[in-house]
This record gives sequence, C-alpha cells and structure tokens, in this order.
Amino acid sequence: MTDTRIEPTTPHIPAMRRVGAAVNQYFALLALALIFVVMAILLGHKGFLMPQNLLNIVLQTTPITIMAIGAVFVLSTAEIDLSIGAVVALSALVGATYIGRYGLVVGVFAGLATGAAAGLINGLLITKLRLPSFLVTLGMMGLITGLSQWYTNLEAVPVLNRTFNGIFGSGSVFGVSSLIIWTGVAILVAHYVYRHTRTGAHVLAAGDNTRAARVSGIKVDRIRIGVMVLSGVLAALAGLLYTGRLHGASYTLGSTDQLTVIAAAVIGGTRLFGGKGSVVGAFIGSLIFGMLNNGLILAGFTNAQQQIAQGIIIVIAIALTLREARSS
Amino acid sequence: MNKPSTLAAASVLVAAAIALTGCSAAGPGTPTDSSSAKAAQKTVIDLPITKTEGPNGEAPTPLSGLTLSDADVAKLQAGGYSADFLWHTSSQFVQAVQAGATAEFGRLGIKVGLTANANMNASTQANQIQTALASKPSAILTLPVDPDSAAQAFQPAVKDGVKLVFLSNTPTGYKQGTDYTSIVTDDLYAMGKDAAEQLGKSLNGKGSIGVIYYNAKYYVTNERDAAFLNTMKSEFPKIKIVAEQGFSDATTTTAIASAMLTQHPNLDGMYVSYAQPGAEGVLSALRTAGDTHTKLVTLDVDDPVMVDMAQGGNTVAVVADQAYSLGKGMADAAAYGILGKKAPAFAVAGALAITKGTIAQGYQDSLHASVPSTVQKALGK
Repeated sequence: MTDTRIEPTTPHIPAMRRVGAAVNQYFALLALALIFVVMAILLGHKGFLMPQNLLNIVLQTTPITIMAIGAVFVLSTAEIDLSIGAVVALSALVGATYIGRYGLVVGVFAGLATGAAAGLINGLLITKLRLPSFLVTLGMMGLITGLSQWYTNLEAVPVLNRTFNGIFGSGSVFGVSSLIIWTGVAILVAHYVYRHTRTGAHVLAAGDNTRAARVSGIKVDRIRIGVMVLSGVLAALAGLLYTGRLHGASYTLGSTDQLTVIAAAVIGGTRLFGGKGSVVGAFIGSLIFGMLNNGLILAGFTNAQQQIAQGIIIVIAIALTLREARSS
Repeated sequence: MNKPSTLAAASVLVAAAIALTGCSAAGPGTPTDSSSAKAAQKTVIDLPITKTEGPNGEAPTPLSGLTLSDADVAKLQAGGYSADFLWHTSSQFVQAVQAGATAEFGRLGIKVGLTANANMNASTQANQIQTALASKPSAILTLPVDPDSAAQAFQPAVKDGVKLVFLSNTPTGYKQGTDYTSIVTDDLYAMGKDAAEQLGKSLNGKGSIGVIYYNAKYYVTNERDAAFLNTMKSEFPKIKIVAEQGFSDATTTTAIASAMLTQHPNLDGMYVSYAQPGAEGVLSALRTAGDTHTKLVTLDVDDPVMVDMAQGGNTVAVVADQAYSLGKGMADAAAYGILGKKAPAFAVAGALAITKGTIAQGYQDSLHASVPSTVQKALGK
C-alpha cells in the first residue's frame, strides 16, 4: 500500500539506487577513470599521455599487483599479511645469490621456496597457536627484515644471468614486456581460482563465516595456511620481478610496499574483514596508486606530497570498507 | 553502503587528486624544468658552498695528519681502554667504516665493546647512549642522528669524560676539545665536485642533464649534491640542468627517472645522490626505456651499479669515499683523545673517482676489499 502511494511521486529513487549500486560495484574503476582524466587534462602537456609513460605505470606496478593478488586471498579469509614487504627482500636476495651460484632454475626455486616457507610459518603460527595474523606477520616482518640484512651483510647482489633478467623484468616476447605478461597471467589464473573453483569459494566462506564454513566441512585452517603460503610465494615472485628489473637484489626491496599492497586490494573491493574480494579490483587498485604516483612526480611534487595523496586514498578506501561492513 | 557516502567518497578522492595536482604551478614541489627552477623555493641542495668545511666552519685536515708514535701505541696497549660504536644506521658504508676502526683498535690494543645502530631514530640513539655508558667506555665512535636532540643525549657521555669521535656531524653547540675529540668525514665537496667533473668530461662539456637528489635535510648528501650542482654550473656552462627532482624514499627513483625521461627523452646525462638503491632504480628506468645514450654518475660503491659500469652500461663513473680509512681515522682520533693529545677538529678522507678501468683499485681503496666475483665476471676477467 505504502509503496503504491509513494512510487508515483518519487519515480527516480529506484534508478538512483541502481546508480548507487553501480558506483559501489565499480568504485575502483570509476576512481581510476576519474584520476586518469584529471591527470590527462592537467599533465597531458608534461608527457602523461605518452604511450611509454602509460606503459611505465603498468610495468612499475607489476610487483604491487602480484602482491595485491595475494592480499585479496589473505584478506578474504579475514587474515592479514604484514610480512610481504620483508619477504620480497629476503626472497630476492636468496634468489639472486643462488642464481649466481647454481643458475636460473635453482635460483628461482630457492627464491620462491623462501617465500613459501615464510608463508607456511605464518600460517602454522596463526592456525596451530591461534595467534592473530596481525601480530604474527608483524613479528615475522621484523625477523625477516633482520635475516635479509644479515644474509648478505647489507650488500646488494648483482644478477648477471641475462635469461633471468629477461624473463623476470627486462625482456619482452613479441614486443610485449615480460612484466605485462606476468601481470596478465597472474590476474587470469588468480581470478579463475578465486571466482570459478571450489578453492576460491572455500576461501570466501572461511572469511565470511568461519563457524558456518567449519560446519559445512570446509577445512578452514588448511585454507588459512594455504592463503598465507600463497601470499608468501607471490611476495617472493614480486621480489624476483624487482630483481630482474634492477638486475640485482638488495635488502631495501619491498620495504615500503605492504601498505600500498593492502590498500590496493581494499580499494579494489576486497573487504578487510573477509568474505569478499576482487582480483581484478586489486589490479585496478594498484594502477590507481601507480598512476597517482606517476602523475604527482610529473607534476613535480615531493615524496612527502605523494605520501599525503596516497594517505588520503588509503583512508577513503578503509572508510568505505568499514561502512560497508557495518551496513551488512 | 549507501550511495551518498560512496559518491561523496569518490568526490573527495577526485577532489584530492585535483587539488594536489592542480596546484602544481604554485606548489613548493621541486621543479622539473629549468625556467621554473629559478622561480622555485630553495631546495636542500641550494647551498653556496665552494669547499669542504666542517658543520661549524672547521678547516679540513687530511687523515694522514693523524699519527701515533710507538710510545703512544705502547701506552694504549697497556691502558686497558675500550670503545663503543653507536652508528646512525646499517649500511655497506658503515660496515666498512667499522671494519677500519676495528682493525685499528686491534692494533692499538683498544677493546671494542658495544656495537649498535639507531636506524636513523634519535630516541633510539639516546637509549643506546645510556646503555653504552653503563659499561664505561673510554671512547664512543658515532654519528648523531639529529644534531639538536643529540646535544642532550650525548651530555652524560661528555660529563663522564668519554672521548667522542663523530662521523660527519656534531651535536648542536658542542665544542671541540671540551665536548668532543674530533669530527672525521669524507671530503664531501670533493666527492660532489668529482662527480660533476666525471659527468661533464664524459659529455665533452655540453648537453643536457637531470639531477635526482636526496630531498631531506641531511648534511652529508646535501653537501655532496650542492658541490655537484655548483661545480657543474661553474665548470661546465654549456651543460644545461634541465630537470631536478628530489626523493626521500630511494626506492622511488625508478618512477622519478622514468618521469624525467618522459619529459626529457634526449637527456644526455643523469646524476643521482647515491647508488643503493637510488642509482639501481635509475638504471632500471633507463633499461626499460631502452636508453643507452644517457650517461649516469652516482656516489658510493654498490655492486649492481659497478656491474653496469663494468659491462659498459649507462654508468660512466662512481665517486666513492674511503670508508675503511675513515674508520681507521676515527679510531686514531679516539686514541688522540684517550692520550690527551690535541686531535684535528675536522679530519677528512679524500674522494675516489672510479671508472671502468679502475674498478678493482676502487674496491680496494674504498672498502679495503677485493672485487666481488660478479663484478669480476662482468669485467670479463
């Protein structure tokens, strides 16, 4: 009755709700488009729209995108991994050292295994000792950072292996940068697993309602260990990509990445408290940070001002997530 | 979430981006072209320096001026003295300084006690000073993280009569002889000057260059960068500095260099304040752009950058300090203090310009180390 009386006088409300829902769903994409337009207008004459510059944005955000994919899985289970930045450095140093001694295959395996081991330790501490992931990974961050500094006595490790440098950052296939290929493959595989497999569904279920997930037979602890290992492996891959691009590894790699990574995932639609996420959204989130960073540099801003801009975006992203969690 | 909040948030996001980018013309950001450089606010490297002098205007004395007689050494060896290292940070440079100091203390019979680094945190350093004083060291070798707060933090050590030898800088208001023994540092002006001369010569005195500098108030890098700029302007008038961009996080130099190359694709040369990871990032940007033309000069020995130079890449020279000798000099200055001898107020180690042909000698002179195997391999030997 009430509906029939109101509807004729306010016919625009359902339409606005649909617009609002669309804005919610495509918030990251809209934000990216708006930032692109603003940058294009203000900085077009400073080279922002040059193809090489736009390509640089994607290339430079590749490690962040790779790690943000891991963050989507971790956050979807209502956990968090603050150790990723530290894992980047240690994995890169281990990989670079072993590539120099034993060649590409052993080096890459050693680097990835380092990340997997860090993730496994995180996962076991979280599930077996029932410790909060925030504290576990914060502690591991310090431990792994110390290991990185100790491992090569603070010295950078150059990588002369051209095949490695080509595959992991500096090369191209039919004119397409290897970093673009890594980004594309990682997004496609992760999106498929996250959206179209039972594993992906279990990840979301474990984070959405842990008790219900356990009752329905989902091995929640195994899922949590699995996502922490995945996060570690992807951080290690990011470390190898940094190494390939820089032709060497150092203990400073990834040291400031974790906040950007988590923010990219959150602004891309991944809920901090589990149960919802988007791999493609994380990619868009990392592009937002990459584009903003690029634009602010082209505009001649200092690092401090760039951090202010990033801080604004992170606060907005977290505010959006918290409001959504409360309303649901 | 309801739609007004989402739309409002999106509006704020865009407004923030517009506000931050839109005010670029009047903002205090570092300029990216020479015309605006003249009008822009002064940066941390706009210093009118023409020579190396101490933080308080002290005239430099070469490290060779620090000498200990056999009698001095015998007295030290019999004295049961000890010294602590309280560094500002951990780095390859600090490791080499410490190695030089440790070796010299060993020769002099001075026991090395506590070693700590403050991770550039002034309060951490203050705590470490208190901890160190508990073991009553005869001397402390250190670099004050923050000269102002260090004035208070080191006061207990001054009162206890501990001989303080500072690397590069002193606490504010401290007087040599009463508060501390000596400052030992690089010839910072010579380092920046050598870097400018290496880049200038490699460009045959003409062309356009970009400068990527450490944009924080920090005596060591500010002096070196200012010396580079001043030398480039005075000795190479036909080389135009077309872009200057600061960084405070050295991991961002890839993005900065990429942006600089976007705006100035025909850049002939680049200078970046230090090698790790600053120059590594710049090299990455040059490789991504397929740029083999732009010549790079940086400061401090760093293996990946040395590999690039060894392979004939963009890097044409690396200017380094004599870190190991610095450490030895600090230990000798501490010995002067313990013996009650008048030490030089400001002792400096010379600068080394390392090019492809002098890489092996450069490692030896700077770090007292042989060439790492990867660099050796890149040299093709």
